[in-house]
Amino acid sequence: MTEVASLRPLAAVAVSAVAILGILAAHRRPNLREGVTLVAAACKFSIVASMLPGVLDGTVYVTNLGELVAGIPFALRADALGLLFALLASLLWIPTSLYSIGYMRGLDEENQTRYFASFAGALSATMGIAFAPNLVVLFVFYELLTVSTYPLVAHDETEEARAAGRKYLAYTFGGGVAVLAGTVLVYVAAGTVGFSAGGIEGLTAGAGTNVARLAFALLAGGFAVKAAVMPLHSWLPDAMVAPTPVSGLLHAVAVVKSGAFGLSRVVLDVFGPEAVAEIGAGVPLAAVAVFTFIVASVIALRKDNLKRRLAYSTIAQLSYIVMGLALLKPTALVGGLLHIPAHAFMKLTLFFCAGAIHVETHTDRISKMAGIGKRMPLTMAAFGLASLGMAGIPLLAGFVSKWYLLAGSFAAGQTVFALALLLSGVLNIAYFWPVVYQAFFETREESDEKPVVDAEIGGYWSRVPDHYTPRAAMADGGDDVHSHDEGWRRVGWRGGEASPFVLAPILVAVGGAVVIGIAPATVYFFRIVRLVVENVTGVAV
Amino acid sequence: MTDAVLGAVIVLPVLASVLPLIASFWREDVGWWVAVAATTANAVLVATVVRSFVTEGRLSHEVGGVAVPYGIELALDGLSAPILVLVAVVSLGTLGYTRKAGPRSNSFYSGYLLLTAGLIGVTVTADVFNLYVFIEITGLAAYALIASGGDGRSAYAALKYLLVGTVGASLYLIGVAYAFVATGTLNMADLSGRLAAVGYGDGIVLASFAFIVAGLGVKVALFPLHTWQPDAYSAAPYGVAGYVSALVSTVAAYALGRIVLTVYTTEFLAANAVVSSALIYFGALSIVAGSILAVLQTDVRRLLAYSSVSQFGLIVAAFGIGNETSVFGGAVHLFGHAVMKGALFLAAGVVAYRLGVTHLDEYAGVGRRVPYAGAAFAVLALSLVGVPPAVGFVGKWYVALGAIRAGETGVAVVIFASTLLTLMYVVRILDRMYYGNHETVGDGGKVRVSRGMVALVVVAAVVVVALGPAATAAQDTLALGEVLGA
Repeated sequence: MTEVASLRPLAAVAVSAVAILGILAAHRRPNLREGVTLVAAACKFSIVASMLPGVLDGTVYVTNLGELVAGIPFALRADALGLLFALLASLLWIPTSLYSIGYMRGLDEENQTRYFASFAGALSATMGIAFAPNLVVLFVFYELLTVSTYPLVAHDETEEARAAGRKYLAYTFGGGVAVLAGTVLVYVAAGTVGFSAGGIEGLTAGAGTNVARLAFALLAGGFAVKAAVMPLHSWLPDAMVAPTPVSGLLHAVAVVKSGAFGLSRVVLDVFGPEAVAEIGAGVPLAAVAVFTFIVASVIALRKDNLKRRLAYSTIAQLSYIVMGLALLKPTALVGGLLHIPAHAFMKLTLFFCAGAIHVETHTDRISKMAGIGKRMPLTMAAFGLASLGMAGIPLLAGFVSKWYLLAGSFAAGQTVFALALLLSGVLNIAYFWPVVYQAFFETREESDEKPVVDAEIGGYWSRVPDHYTPRAAMADGGDDVHSHDEGWRRVGWRGGEASPFVLAPILVAVGGAVVIGIAPATVYFFRIVRLVVENVTGVAV
Repeated sequence: MTDAVLGAVIVLPVLASVLPLIASFWREDVGWWVAVAATTANAVLVATVVRSFVTEGRLSHEVGGVAVPYGIELALDGLSAPILVLVAVVSLGTLGYTRKAGPRSNSFYSGYLLLTAGLIGVTVTADVFNLYVFIEITGLAAYALIASGGDGRSAYAALKYLLVGTVGASLYLIGVAYAFVATGTLNMADLSGRLAAVGYGDGIVLASFAFIVAGLGVKVALFPLHTWQPDAYSAAPYGVAGYVSALVSTVAAYALGRIVLTVYTTEFLAANAVVSSALIYFGALSIVAGSILAVLQTDVRRLLAYSSVSQFGLIVAAFGIGNETSVFGGAVHLFGHAVMKGALFLAAGVVAYRLGVTHLDEYAGVGRRVPYAGAAFAVLALSLVGVPPAVGFVGKWYVALGAIRAGETGVAVVIFASTLLTLMYVVRILDRMYYGNHETVGDGGKVRVSRGMVALVVVAAVVVVALGPAATAAQDTLALGEVLGA
């Protein structure tokens, strides 16, 4: 591995930070303002992508910026793992920016300048997280990501949005504090907090097993907040009150995966798989992850608000990543890390679809979507594909990562976890299929009962009044503006269903999910993941 | 030769403070100009002494040529140099704000210069009785400035401050008297050696320490000795509140650190584990109680005042832990907090002067109506929370690191939690400022807000962010290890 001094990591972080100024300056000219966003997104992706060939050849690009606190270099360092995250976030920022334009203008949202500026800031912070060479720099950008996404969560300025924003800050700053405490413990024990593949040498020896356990618990617990591992997940469904592009890129990709990414840094580059096994932290973490993805899937079954159902699905899918990391076997690590991009493409598709439905028909509840396949055929087809991918059906992105996760579970001798994964796949079908089925095979007049969503918890023993109230009719976040008594207008398959700004990003995202599924070996993400795991474990998968 | 300038930085503002009063025989509006001239000149002098400290190390000057320990010594070292810079810069910056915001009377600027002189005196003196004199000068001038609000509330607040502050100063004086009885000296360096000779476990030494800490605790406004502070900060004109909140408690906390760390020394703390724990938990209690009280406030100024109670708890705990890392963290936070809190008051002043609002509920939509000062307020408040890379984070990092290194796990937990405690009250403001519905915003205050006032607040916000990385760069220059005698 050769280190090369380069300004490219800094440029990748700085380009959207500088763009904030341009966005704010152009607040009176929306077209120029969005132009700035798009140019910044294109530049950012180009800069990150330009480092790809070098990184695959074992080069590491480093920008040194002095020190923020004594003894810990403040630098930006693009290694394989960092590039995986940076490449993903910067690539998906381009379709998301286009989609944001279609979405925000389609809804005539207020405060669009603040929205685009915060979005650019969040992307800067994400790059910083990706390229952080040690825990302190990671913490710095982790906190800045929290600050820059808060205005996006509270964007609507309704009481609900403000409450979600406050909750978001409380949860994520709480996690940040735990990360900081863990960082200080690691620094005192090892004298360094720099990442090195396979772990910092002598960390557990220097700290003693119990302090090492405490440090791991603080770091993992802190990052688990953003990764929405139960019971620290409750901010995420509430944050769905944000505009859908935010839910899509930030609360399915950048923010939540900064948690998963932080966790992978802790497991792979701070402690190292061997030390994690030595302090006995792997299995408990994996067990929490398994608990999370089963329970979150069950909760998702009963969510009628589409974005909330997606949020619980995100919670479940993120725990796949956590489980892959916690199993500590090379194949499991590949599965977990590969699920970062795989889930990103699929979930971004799903959120984009939910947003397209919201913009075009102002429908948020699944129970109101019967027959919507007529109105939005391409959108719902993309939704169907992505949800199959989520369940792990072959030829889609979700299958590849799940395959490695299953192999890893068996390699780790954890057959239970493998069974849980399969069960979770079934649950995925159970909560996604009704959406697709309703869209294409039901109409408003002819739709079946939805006992799972509608019934009261408690079944026979629940205190249901004589007049049966469908749960769908109760407040579950989001109101339908229009009533559609006349049924859905039929729109052809040629894209008349939504603005191209909304539709094109959906097709791009779902296309990504299909390409990863059909030919994973040709996609750079897969090569990067294998390189990361080989660097850490010495085993080529 | 520069040693003698240490005396001049005190004498210049004292002499200048008389000029506005004399000038009042002819004109009422020259006080501001005199103050600007004097503070600028003084800033130049301060720059000279700090420069020679940076190049040559510790400076010391015997006043009037009377030999130490009998004469009064003035000194400048790594602990006091940043405070001296702070006083010089803040006193000049605040003048830029009071030019439009007032008060404008000549007598106000006499008091202002006298306060500056007192603060500088506390910072550079190396004599415990001389320190008392400067604390009293600081106090008396501060009482007068608080009262310059000119209404009943400020008169009441000033009187309360006078009564409580005098008790604090007296307690300090009693402590000094005990120490003098035990050792027969008042010079800090000399006292330090002789206290060790008397024995750190000796009752009279312990009593003197307790009185001094309690007395300065009042001046710092640690919980539960803080009661004067919220009244004083909220009743004073915004310019005064900014100045006083940035410097008066800061300099008192510096004095506390100076005496605990260099007169009684860390060996004293090590020898008396109970005393050192008491000091640390005194600080920790203040962190928690101050934050909770801040959350309960409805007036923005009182909220900021209670926030100070909390932040100074962190600083005192850092001094109590007493290793080089935590003391450096305490010094960084002392400096950083002064800039943050002073600027927050000035920003709140911009809001109040422009929109006529001071209550938290009235802050709805302020972020839109006062965009630049509002953004600066947000940056300052977030850096108070400890969002990196601003200075609030850097100070907290070193204090926490020092606490863990010293094995003070309990305090470390409080320090980490203080981020969330601070967040509790900061979010209350920011949430309203930016997302509150904007119908309740009032209109118009008495004072026209000048661009300079807004610019000052914005510059302070930039400084707070830039100070983060700069603090670590200054670590070697300050050489706090030498100050602590390590």
